[in-house]
Amino acid sequence: MEVIRVENVTKSFKIYKERAVTLKERILGRKNKVEIFEALKSVSLYVQKGETVGLLGRNGSGKSTLLKMLTGILYPDEGLIHVEGKISSLLELGAGFHPDFTGRENIFMNASILGLNKKEIRAKLDDIIAFSELKEYIENPVRNYSSGMYMRLAFSVAIMVEPDVLLIDEVLAVGDSAFQQKCMDQLMKLKAKGTTIVFVSHDLTAMEKLCDRVVWINNSVIEDEGYPKKIIDKYLTFLANEENTRLLSTGTESGNQDESQSTNVIEPIEKNESDRWGNRDIELTEVIFKDSENNKRLGFMSGDTATINIKFKTNKETKEPVFGVGISNLEGVNCYGTNTWIDHYKIDVLHMSEIGEISFKIPSLDLVAGTYLISVAVHDVYGNPYDYHDKRYTIKVSSITSDIGVAKIKHQWILERKK
Amino acid sequence: MFEKIKEVYAYRQMLESLVLTDLRTRYKGSILGFFWTLLNPLLLLCVYSIVFKFVVRIQMDNYSSFLFIGLITWNVFSQSILSGAGVIIRNAGLIKKIYFPKELLPLSVVIGGVLNYFFSFLVLLFILIINKIAIGWPILLFPLILFILSIFTLALTMLISALNVYFRDLEHIVGILIMGWFYLTPIVFPSNMIPNELHLIFDLNPIRIFVEGFQDIYYYNKFPNWSELLVGTIVSFVLLVISMKIFKKLSRNFAEVI
Repeated sequence: MEVIRVENVTKSFKIYKERAVTLKERILGRKNKVEIFEALKSVSLYVQKGETVGLLGRNGSGKSTLLKMLTGILYPDEGLIHVEGKISSLLELGAGFHPDFTGRENIFMNASILGLNKKEIRAKLDDIIAFSELKEYIENPVRNYSSGMYMRLAFSVAIMVEPDVLLIDEVLAVGDSAFQQKCMDQLMKLKAKGTTIVFVSHDLTAMEKLCDRVVWINNSVIEDEGYPKKIIDKYLTFLANEENTRLLSTGTESGNQDESQSTNVIEPIEKNESDRWGNRDIELTEVIFKDSENNKRLGFMSGDTATINIKFKTNKETKEPVFGVGISNLEGVNCYGTNTWIDHYKIDVLHMSEIGEISFKIPSLDLVAGTYLISVAVHDVYGNPYDYHDKRYTIKVSSITSDIGVAKIKHQWILERKK
Repeated sequence: MFEKIKEVYAYRQMLESLVLTDLRTRYKGSILGFFWTLLNPLLLLCVYSIVFKFVVRIQMDNYSSFLFIGLITWNVFSQSILSGAGVIIRNAGLIKKIYFPKELLPLSVVIGGVLNYFFSFLVLLFILIINKIAIGWPILLFPLILFILSIFTLALTMLISALNVYFRDLEHIVGILIMGWFYLTPIVFPSNMIPNELHLIFDLNPIRIFVEGFQDIYYYNKFPNWSELLVGTIVSFVLLVISMKIFKKLSRNFAEVI
């Protein structure tokens, strides 16, 4: 049975640049400058009874607008929305909390706003207070509460209402991890009882755990929906790609600066920058990061194929040069470093004015999620630098798992049980 | 329409919360607190009594009683309209964050006004007894007149509260209009003092029906003019139906506009 039916819903907002609100402005006929922003474009969504659906998407993609329309706060411009049963929504915490009243009084007020009558509230009062863990403070006015306490009280009320349909918008993020866990458990319980839940969150682990289906909204339309893990992976890859384009566009700006610098360094005077040194007998002119399809990239997914392309120019004939690459994280910990000499990759001699490139191929970029600083260098076998670029390059690694550490060790778990 | 009334009834607990919050927060922090509800009309009575008894010199037996009846009746209406004009905007936080029938907001304001009337009624009884005015059966009709008055008040409050969201000057315009309307209603003077040329305006004033009705049952100890009261009832309900339709239409966009 479908509890939530959203059919071809379109919603746009007028964004007033300057708005005539007063009589004077209306009479003087000041024009309203309006921009139309389409928050949702003919979106359709059906949710079965007892199903838990997660909404995923970047900020401003239309998730909250959809939730607000499901609650009945906003109305669609076109299309149809139908929700069956008692709806409780946690769009914003503490709507209707009055700072001067005590916690207990606010529970009554808030629960009544969510549609309970006095008898029902009384029956649930002890549960609500117990769940919020605010027994000692329940007679204090809520203006003295910390934001965490405020949120705990609000969530306790909303979740104890036991609605048919529960709509939650990114509110679990507040509160300490112990309380978050408790909220998750409570949501699981509601789910087991057959409550239909629509859930917006950026906590992807929670989403994967809780949801039966995930809907990805991007730029006002439903991009994809389906099995949580699959959609979340797709979404993360998309995010990594977006991050990559962002990095590349900012990278070209700073790249131009680099070029002007490299024209400088052709001058014989040895220039000592804080992150670049060496006598420039061999000069590293460009460092490019590429993916398996040979596209320029600065954002990678963990496990991707990556290539570091180092272009060089020889200013003086050099015997047995050694090229090296180092990867360190933002804390300055060296995650991995190697060079051609360590790896027994022998380069005999580079002649004067020779131009070439050397590639460092990584079949599987086994790094945990994070930002990494890359150093590249060329030096002689004793370590005297020709050109050393210390942590001059930045790449970003995203991951669909939340493992941690410096090294990503290949592994598998095996459970053996004996009677 | 019937659906809406059913929904409002389902949210009666929230309505109660809204009314109580309003009553409790109004005098929060003041030393006399809730006593202001009783003190306010009394002080107002003092001021008007001095002006109209000693300066304007209206000749009337028990003028204070007469004046008080008109004042508390007028208060139900004017306070609801004035406070109701901004009620939607004041509660922007609720409207943007949760769903509830928006009709509750103007309704809560009017109910608050009616509750105030009940407190004033106790004071009125006290004044009537002090002035040795005969109290008889007609006084039992006060809930009926109050009910019709509140329907009329609710209709106007809903209309103004909704329109004020889109046209904020209304709040200020209404303030002035209400002040003028006060003197077009026989509150500080009895109806027989109205000159003939102005009678038409007074006759068309629906509030006059309620004020005179109350004056009949309290001050003159007689039954109200039934035919006028019937007209008042019909006007009030027709107006309410129209207001609810307009309110429903306008309320769809409240969350976006405020």
